This record gives sequence, C-alpha cells and structure tokens, in this order.
Amino acid sequence: MSKYISKKDLNSWLNKVRDNRRLVAPTKVDDLILFKEISRVEDIVSDYVNTDLSPKEFLFPPTEVLFSIEKKNGGVELTPARVEKETVIFGMRPCDAKGVVALDKPFLEDPTDPLYKEHRDKTALVGISCLKACAECFCSSMGSGPDDPSGFDIMLTEVKDGYLVQVLTEKGKALLPDSTLSESGEAKPKAAEVATVPAKDVNVKLRQNFEDPYWNRLADRCIHCNMCSYVCPTCYCFDIRDYPNKGKTDRVRSWESCQSAGFTKIAGGHDPRANKGTRMRQRFAHKLLYFPEQFGVSHCIGCGRCVKSCPVNIDIREIIQDVQKLGAKGE
Amino acid sequence: MNETEQIRSKAKELLDSKKVDCVIGYERATDEKNARPMFAYNAKDADRLIFDQTCRHNLVRYLLNRKDKVTGIVVKACDSRAVNLLINEHQIARDKLFIIGVACPGLVKTDWNKPGDKLRDACQLCQQRTPVIYDVLIGEAKKVEPPADAYPDVAAMEGKSVEEKRAFWEKEFSRCIRCYACRQACPGCYCSECFVDRLDPLWVGIRIAPGENEMWNTIRAYHLGGRCIGCYACELVCPVNIPLSLLNRKLEKEVMKLFKFQPGLDPETPQPLATFQKDEKLGVAE
Repeated sequence: MSKYISKKDLNSWLNKVRDNRRLVAPTKVDDLILFKEISRVEDIVSDYVNTDLSPKEFLFPPTEVLFSIEKKNGGVELTPARVEKETVIFGMRPCDAKGVVALDKPFLEDPTDPLYKEHRDKTALVGISCLKACAECFCSSMGSGPDDPSGFDIMLTEVKDGYLVQVLTEKGKALLPDSTLSESGEAKPKAAEVATVPAKDVNVKLRQNFEDPYWNRLADRCIHCNMCSYVCPTCYCFDIRDYPNKGKTDRVRSWESCQSAGFTKIAGGHDPRANKGTRMRQRFAHKLLYFPEQFGVSHCIGCGRCVKSCPVNIDIREIIQDVQKLGAKGE
Repeated sequence: MNETEQIRSKAKELLDSKKVDCVIGYERATDEKNARPMFAYNAKDADRLIFDQTCRHNLVRYLLNRKDKVTGIVVKACDSRAVNLLINEHQIARDKLFIIGVACPGLVKTDWNKPGDKLRDACQLCQQRTPVIYDVLIGEAKKVEPPADAYPDVAAMEGKSVEEKRAFWEKEFSRCIRCYACRQACPGCYCSECFVDRLDPLWVGIRIAPGENEMWNTIRAYHLGGRCIGCYACELVCPVNIPLSLLNRKLEKEVMKLFKFQPGLDPETPQPLATFQKDEKLGVAE
C-alpha cells in the first residue's frame, strides 16, 4: 500500500497552501510554460513534460537586494534583506530538484550565503515524477532519474484520478500531514524511458584535452549569449553592484554568465578567458569536471533546457560524446 | 542538382583551391529536423552542408570574427542585406568574401524537435527572395508579389492608445532575462563595448528587472533605426518570445517614410541617420 491523494483533494490542499504562503507552479504564459506565483489553483497546468525555464529563480532570483546601507546617527547601518513569506514550489520535475541539490553546494557549504539559505529554509519542494520524457532529457546519465526523489520534500506520482505520495522530509510532513492522505493499492506506474549519454569518466577526458583545438572549433558556432546559463537550473554566477537612492544604498546581485565577454575581465584590463574557445571550455569543464571534483556531484543534471534553447545548437550531449572520442592526451 | 548539392560542390571547389579559408553554411542540428550554422574548413566537412527551409540563422554575424581571413558564406536574401550593411559600415571587406547567394524559398516556422510546414510570418511579408549581393547564385531567382500592406503588425500597434502600448510592452519586457541572445545574433550589433556592458561608469544597471529590461530593449531598437535589415534573427533566438521585430519594423517604417531608405540594398548609399545634408528639413520646424 502507498499513500494516495485524489486530484480533488490535492486541489483543495493547494488552495490551503496558498492561504498564507507563496505558491509557485507551472502555468501557461503565452506560448510558454513557466513557474509563476499562482493566484488561482485552476491556472496550474499539468500537461507539460518540463517547463521552459527552471524554478531556480525562486531560490536564486535574477535580481535581488542583499542588504541596504544607510547613514544613521553619525554611523553606517547595514540592514540585511529578509525573506518574508514561505514558498511552496509545486510541480517540479526530479531534474530540477537535483538542480537544487547542486545549487545548495556552493551556496550552503562554508561560507554559507545567508540570503540563499533563508530562501531555501523557507521553501518546500513538491515534485511530480516523470512518466514521459522529452527527446532532449538525459537525467539518468547525470546522476538523477525520472523518479529520483532527491531534493524533494514531497514527491507525487500520477495514477488514475490522483497521485501516489512520498513524504520525504519533516518539512514535507508538516506541509502535507498524514490526515490529508489515504491509502491506495495502485501499483506505481513505470517511470519514463530517458535517452542516455556516455557521461561516465568524461571528467578524465576533459582534463586530458584541456588544450585541444576542439574548443575553438566549437566556439566558431557559439554566439556567446548568456542563454544557456540563464535557462540552466544549476548555473549560479552573479554580479554585484551598489544602487544609491536618496541617501540609502542597495547592494544588488544579478545573474551573470561565464559566456559573456567581460565576465572574467579584471582590474587593469587583463582577461584570463579572453577568447571564445576558453569561455566555451569553461562552461563544460565547470559542469562536468571542476564542480564534480569539488563537490562530488555533477553540475549538469540532464534537464535538456540548454539543448532545446540554444540558438545555434551547442548541444552538451554531443559535446560529451565528442570529448569521449578525443584521445587520451597527457595532462 | 538541388541547392544542397550545389552548395556542397561550390564549397569544395573554394576550399580545395584554397580560395577561402572556410565556408560558413548550414548543417543538420542534433534534433535531426532543424538546421544549425556550420564552419567547413575542408572538402570533407563540406559534405555535411545542407540547405532547406529550416536554415533560419543569419550567418553574416560570424564574419565579424573573421575579418582577416577570406571566408565563403551562404546567404539568403535578408542575410545578403546584412553583408551590404557591414560593408557600408566598414566592418568587413568585400575582397575577403566569397558570397554563395541562395534564392530563398522562404523559411518555415520551426521549433526545437518540431519541423514546421507553414511559412514564417516574416517570410510571408518578404518582398525580396533573391540576394542583393553574391558571387554565385544558387537556386532559381523568384519574383514575389509584394503584399498589399507590408506592415500589418506595426499598423495594428499604432492603432492602440499610449496606455495600451505601454501595458503591452511592459508585459513583454517583464519576461526578458537579459541573456542578450538578440544582440549576439544580430549582424548590426557589433559595438566592441555595448552600452549595457559599460560598467565604469555604469550606464544601464545590472538588474534583470522592468526598468532596466525596458531600457535595454528600447535603446537597442533605436541603435538599429535605419540599420536593421529585417532578418528577424533577434526575435527568432529570444528564449521568452518577445516580439522584437515589432520595434524594429516600426523604426524601419519611419525611416522609409522620412528618407525613402531601406538599409542593406546596396553597399554604397550613405545611411540617412549617419549623414548630414544641409538642405534636409524632415518637416521639423526651421
């Protein structure tokens, strides 16, 4: 027997969740499916394979004030930004939850980013496992899978007229108490079949082929926009600026990308990654070599969003295959 | 021979004879349905070149990275106007180019993994299917009947009230994530330091937020006034579907009305907004 909730009960539960929390879920915005704050539970869509943009923005917003600086009583007062409301992100896919697990590494490990931590503490992740996969999904090759519950507080699996429920954390238990659930003998449906990519030991090959001309050839085609980084559920680079406004200054951080030309420019004008090839290599080496070696998990979780959105078809699955074919050169 | 075979054979000839260092064209993308840009450096690479109605990219942008090398390039009619624009603005040299022009059949609306069968809106309004500059022309030059109204979308916008227009663009720009794909895909956006990348002093803030998004998209449109050659590359790459061509086409229409000028038709005619003539009045009070 597994825990079960009917679709009707789920909707009334979501309505209750919305009462005193911010409910974020996939909804239709013109031709796109995006995570948005939901004001009517009926606006949540369920017939999507994955959303066009990841839910990263609700834990690591595109732009946010870190703290404010104000001159007061002959001194300077710093006021850190606070996260007021609790958030429930509903309808996430397992790849995106794995993305949050990866985001946690740089932001929560010492030194902890206090604002990210507050977002994270005040957010519950409720996911739905994948019974269907996109052609460009490859989560199973990147340490996740269509029914991988890691990162979720609650995971649902769709069955007839309702969902099988796995409550995975204390936060999940508090949010969806046992009294809301019933029991069902329904068998767990088969998870989606996901295409595979030969990602095993690709870090070794990447290290061996750091200087290979492959990167410059690949960069021929890249137009160096920031799209891949911004649609990616795990990219976490940012820039910081001060915004003075009538005696008060806000310190603001916004997303940035290693693909933009000035990203690594330092004082004096030097740029250690001045050409397109080195920037291109940085993106893939960070995903598949540096991050896994530093934090022990892959920094690509195989959601396929960059594959789908890249205007010139820079395809990480193809790059993994190409790199595996490169020779075993010396380090 | 169809277009693909003709392009392959021309590219092989150019590469084998070392007339060019590289031919920029199209190959099949990894979804096996769409096309993607391709750089062929030898005859073997050239066998992967293709041409069909999914070849949507304006490849001319890539010429800006290859100013010192002789390059062969496949251009459609709209792309060819970008070649003229960049020659006119002294960004590329004619003698460094071998232009393989393709008489364009019009492109179909495609999505990742979904080939289309309907012509793109832009291609339905296109008045010129034959490249305006080329060394060799592939395919049959077709004459198309110009549509009765070339700017139906712009006229519909003009009919709205100021408040409606503001609300429309606020909604559209609110989705912008400032990934700059529009700029990076545009053959006319080649400033060595873009105004939004100017950090010291900071010209436009780094925030991905309504004020800055609006500033970015509006100023970019103005910088392309009288220069946008109408390839729609910006709109095609936008990950959140902002209808950027509406802005560009409005300015194109205004420049046409004031100066009877369409950019990119030839490499010589000076651009009206970069030219001063003593007797110019433009209906403005003297």
